[in-house]
Amino acid sequence: MGIITAHSSKETVRDIVSDIGHQASGFAPNTVIYFASSCFDPESLSRQMQEKFKNASVFGCSTAGEIVSGKMLKGSVAAMLFDTESVADICIAVAENIRSENRVPEAFRQFEAYYRTQMAEMDFEKYVGVILADGLSGAEERLMEKIGDLTDVVFIGASAGDDLKFKQTYIYANGKAYTDAAVLALIRPAKGFDVIKTQSFCALDRKLTATKVNEAKRTVLEFDFKPAAMAYAEALGIPVKEAGSHFMRHPMGLMFGDEPYVRSPQQIRGNDMAFYCNIKEGMELSLLESTDIVSDTRQALAEKKAELNSISGIINFHCILRTLELEQKGQTEAYGNIFSDIPTLGFSTYGEEYIGHINQTSTMLVFR
Amino acid sequence: MAGQIKELIDTIIAKRSKGLKGLIYTTKAKLLLKGIDPDGYNEASDDNPLILERIRKIAVELGVDMR
Repeated sequence: MGIITAHSSKETVRDIVSDIGHQASGFAPNTVIYFASSCFDPESLSRQMQEKFKNASVFGCSTAGEIVSGKMLKGSVAAMLFDTESVADICIAVAENIRSENRVPEAFRQFEAYYRTQMAEMDFEKYVGVILADGLSGAEERLMEKIGDLTDVVFIGASAGDDLKFKQTYIYANGKAYTDAAVLALIRPAKGFDVIKTQSFCALDRKLTATKVNEAKRTVLEFDFKPAAMAYAEALGIPVKEAGSHFMRHPMGLMFGDEPYVRSPQQIRGNDMAFYCNIKEGMELSLLESTDIVSDTRQALAEKKAELNSISGIINFHCILRTLELEQKGQTEAYGNIFSDIPTLGFSTYGEEYIGHINQTSTMLVFR
Repeated sequence: MAGQIKELIDTIIAKRSKGLKGLIYTTKAKLLLKGIDPDGYNEASDDNPLILERIRKIAVELGVDMR
């Protein structure tokens, strides 16, 4: 069968796990990935999901909304199950204490022992990594940079959410629930894979250079040697007091050719601007303007379908800011429908991971 | 003096990507996210010592032998 999805909005963890198990009956997964609303007890959920799928590698995280083939959900658990037709092999490792320690090498040693290949030598066309990180750790940039330093294998994933409470996010693996942690999975897809990174912005011709930053706090103090908030407002031609209301429509982009690596402003603190990911001193950023998420995503998916001929499943790491914009515009159903004919699992994230830590994208792992 | 920055960047990209198209993209993106725009320098760019030092440090992080 390859890949199937299951989801449940029942009230208790026991009923949800039972429901998902029922939907997956007759299927023998070697891998189960699941995304869960933060309303469910994390320890109980992780333990019961692992018990339900004893013979599989089971991992996931808490969310700010779930996505499953054709639907955007809240208050549910959504899962994708893979058998050997889709995932030929998988190894998972948990990196703990990510706020203060670099545990990536330790996780990579587990992968090297399992696959008997050095991560630096691992075939980047045969293997793909998935990473799910505590979304309130502020550690994603360091994690992704260390991963990128040590291997050519692409790791994609996201930062866990907690339904916009911003109190505690959870990673699930090995039947346990973790905070201040990331789960890394190194997967050998049976039929190959690809990645879609799509964001709905065009670059305006206004650029700002970060001239004073606090990287650890993801804060820019100055753009072009002016107070950051003032420089941002000036570039948009608006009063500083209105700047916050433009963040979603006008984030900033680190441009790679025509492709932005989006850095989304979070809030103005005095004269400073805090972002959802860090900006290094000297980075030149373009002001961006939003375009239509639904049509852009539909086009990105259509292009990938045409390129690959067939897609057997998608994991969609979808920024919560995009979800909020879709809700504001009444486009949630239309967005969900884009994925109605493909087994899809996803969630609304607190940031996406692809080469680095990014914002306001849909970053998707595509299984052929 | 000019052009050393581009030379170092090109060396990192060539050695880390081994000429493979898929890795050229990711290596350039890694450089960009580390704060060095791989397309932002040319043969005429001044040899800013601070940037040269930063790129050499990045080479070490990426495991690229610059000799």
